[in-house]
Amino acid sequence: MTVLILTCEEDVTADMVVVHLNASGVPVVRLDPADLPGGVALSGEYVHGRFRGHLQSAGRLVSIAGLRSVWVRRPGDAAARAAQPSAWLTEESAQALYGMLLGSDARWMNHPDAARRARHKPWQLRLAQRCGLPVPATLITTFPQAAREFADRYPDLVVKPVSGAHPQDPPRAVPTSRVAPDTDFSAVAFGPTLLQRRVGKRADVRLTVVGERLLAARKATAQDADPDDPGSVDVRFAPAGIPWHPTDVPPRVADAVRSYLREAELAYGAFDFAEDADGTWWFLECNQSGQFGFVEVETGLPIARTIAEWLARPGPEPRTRVNGSSTTAC
Amino acid sequence: MQPFALNYARPAVELEATTPYVYDSGLQLNVLMDGRVAAGDLALLRELGTTTSTAGSKTHFDD
Repeated sequence: MTVLILTCEEDVTADMVVVHLNASGVPVVRLDPADLPGGVALSGEYVHGRFRGHLQSAGRLVSIAGLRSVWVRRPGDAAARAAQPSAWLTEESAQALYGMLLGSDARWMNHPDAARRARHKPWQLRLAQRCGLPVPATLITTFPQAAREFADRYPDLVVKPVSGAHPQDPPRAVPTSRVAPDTDFSAVAFGPTLLQRRVGKRADVRLTVVGERLLAARKATAQDADPDDPGSVDVRFAPAGIPWHPTDVPPRVADAVRSYLREAELAYGAFDFAEDADGTWWFLECNQSGQFGFVEVETGLPIARTIAEWLARPGPEPRTRVNGSSTTAC
Repeated sequence: MQPFALNYARPAVELEATTPYVYDSGLQLNVLMDGRVAAGDLALLRELGTTTSTAGSKTHFDD
């Protein structure tokens, strides 16, 4: 049976997994929904109570019933590279492709419904709390007065996007940034604002979870870091001089993140923690499609191999849950 | 009228360098000009930063 990988061509991180699948002799079909229709073709037939569907890409033909797993890695928008792209064609193509795949018994990393839900940061914070992970005091609000009162209670704050997305018109990045104590919060009324108590951290931790396997890396905070420098608040902007190193996961954290992924119905998650001076790991977020290539490149942690092993497990699992609800097979 | 969080925005940094590999649909892998698989050259990947979590990237919103 075949592993289907949905990602863009330039995704060299996906290559790291394909290499392992190839070495194991596991059939792989890799395609980008952006090439449907065109380089990618599909057909599905619902006749006499049965479904038979196929996908074709780059000369490879795969039966949807023959898929053992689907890895949703970095897919483009369906039909984005069609000869005459349109929002309508994108919707049509996405419905056809994902609709057929959702009807298969393949295992997902990650299931689109679970992935969509897991992208909501407020939902992440609540789930992390329920799973016993320490979460820094957080406020999401459009009330300037609520922001002022929160700042009175927690004078050392950071602000970050609620969605994790960044504006594209023009392209800008919104790093997690420290908020000055005398800040004017009136602009909070113009958009939901996420304020969070700043964790005085001695390290950042990226914990990649693949199924039940935990692979953690730690990057120490520079001793002379200026707390107002975005690079010392948001690790994505930190100077490259300090490397990531593999690290052990405290047992309580291990139990909690496994509970988190089970509750979220995710097979993969990249957790970001801030480690404080006491060694406590404070939950910041869990990216259901978080990047892992840089961690493996720097630390040697076998993340790609672990993903490949998960995808390569034989045979689909019986479908018992759909969109978070238990169902009874018809 | 700008949302509060955008007071902290900065220009996005996109990778400017052309990647020295190209996708081979037969292999389903990116290959270097000398035919080697790009994913096998970890030093190159580190240098290029193409596997890095990048804030503000158009293609890596969920890193």
